[in-house]
Amino acid sequence: MIYLDNGATSFHKPPAVRRAVERAMLCCANPGRGGYSAAMAAAETVFRCRETAGDLFHCDPEQVVFTSNCTHGLNIAIHTLVKPGGRVVISGFEHNAVTRPLHALGADIHVAGRRLFDWWDTLDSFEKELKSGADAAIFTHMSNVFGYILPVQELSMLCRQYGVPFVIDAAQAAGALEVDFEKWGASFVAMPGHKGLLGPQGTGLLLCGELPEPLICGGTGSVSLEQRMPDFLPDRAEAGTLNVPGIAGLQAGLSYLRRVGVESIFQREQQQAKKCAAGLQKMGYRVFSGAHQGGTVSFVPKADCQQMADFLAKRGIAVRSGLHCAPLAHESAGTVETGTVRISFGHDAASAQTAAFLQVAADFL
Amino acid sequence: MKMDCITFRSITPAQRAQRVLQRSGMEVVLQRTPRRMEERGCGYCLRLRHEDLQRAAVLLRQNGVGFQKLYSAEQGEIEEIVL
Repeated sequence: MIYLDNGATSFHKPPAVRRAVERAMLCCANPGRGGYSAAMAAAETVFRCRETAGDLFHCDPEQVVFTSNCTHGLNIAIHTLVKPGGRVVISGFEHNAVTRPLHALGADIHVAGRRLFDWWDTLDSFEKELKSGADAAIFTHMSNVFGYILPVQELSMLCRQYGVPFVIDAAQAAGALEVDFEKWGASFVAMPGHKGLLGPQGTGLLLCGELPEPLICGGTGSVSLEQRMPDFLPDRAEAGTLNVPGIAGLQAGLSYLRRVGVESIFQREQQQAKKCAAGLQKMGYRVFSGAHQGGTVSFVPKADCQQMADFLAKRGIAVRSGLHCAPLAHESAGTVETGTVRISFGHDAASAQTAAFLQVAADFL
Repeated sequence: MKMDCITFRSITPAQRAQRVLQRSGMEVVLQRTPRRMEERGCGYCLRLRHEDLQRAAVLLRQNGVGFQKLYSAEQGEIEEIVL
C-alpha cells in the first residue's frame, strides 16, 4: 500500500517504535504508584519521554502533559481558557477538535483569516479581532486539509501584544515544523503522538504554559490525602493510569525525529506535495497550492471525491476524502459542497509514492 | 553510613531532581517516601548520603527544582532537617 494519509495518522512507523511498545508491555508496571522495579522502570520510561519532548519543544519536562490524543489536549486547553459565552478568535482553518468544544461552551467565536496561503490576510484579520479583546485565541499551525502553514510566530507576538492568551493546535505541525514553546509564549500547545511524532495511537502531548483546569479528576499517585486535584504540573492534568506502552513508543518516535531531523523530513514532505500539486494541475484537477504550504495537498476531482478515493484505494493508494473533520476550513476555501481528496505525505515521503499516485490519478480521468 | 531523604510532592519533580544531582556526581536513590515522612499522602523521595544533603539542596534550588522537606533517617528514627 502507498500510504498518503499521514494527516490522519502515521502508518509506517520506525521499527523502534513497535519494539519499544512491546518492551514496555513486558517490563513496565504503573508509574508513580509503587516503588518496585517494574514500577520504577515505567516511571523512568515516562520521564525520559517528557525529557525528550522538553528538549525538542523547548520546555521543562514538567510542562509536558500526556494526553490520549491532540483533541484531548485541546479540550483541556479550551476549558481552561474559555468560560461559557467567552469571546474567542480562531483562524478560518480550524478542526472540529477546536470548534466543537467552543460550540459546546456557547463561545462567541470570531473567525479571522479565511484566505488560503495568505499571511497578510491572516495577520491583518487576527489583529483586527484581537484589538477588541478576547478571552483566548486558538489557531492551527498547519491546516489538516490544505497544508496551509499559518504565521504562528507572528500570531504569537500579536496575541502577547494584546494580552490575549492563546492555544496552538500543532496536530499537523509536530514532527514537520519547529515547535518552540519557549519562543512562542503560548498558554498551551497541543499535539498528537501518533501523527508526525510517529508514536502509537492513544498518545498525545499538551505543553502547558499555565496551570490547566482538570478535565478529569482522579488518582495521580501524589498528595493522595487531598481531595482537590494537585495544583502542580503535570499531575493536575494526568488523572488515572498513563498509557505507558504508548508513551514508550512515542519516546522512540521522538528519538527517531531527533536523530533524523525534523527539517529534513519537512523538506521531503513539502517537495513531494509540490510535485503532486504540479502533476494534478497539469491533468486539469482543481488543486489548492501556494506559498506557506507543507506536505499536504487537497484537490477537487470532477467526480465525487469519495468515488476517487475508492478508486485509489482499489489501486493500493490510501488517501482521505470528504470534509476531514474540518468543515470550517472547507467553508473558508469554498469546498464544503464537493469536499476534497487529500494527500498527506509523511516521514517516508518519496518520489515513487508521488509517481504512483499521479499515474492512478491520470487513470481516473 | 548515615542516609538522608529529600521528599517531593510527586514523582516527576523527584525524577528531575535525580537527574540534576546525578549529573553533579552525587549518588541518589529514587524511592517511595516512607509514610511517616509524607504529610499529604503519596510521594517520592531521593535517598542520599548525609554529607551530600546541603549541596543537594543548593543545587536543586539553583536549578529551580522544588522539594518538600529534608529528613535524616537513622535506625528507624526520622528527624526533619532544617538547613
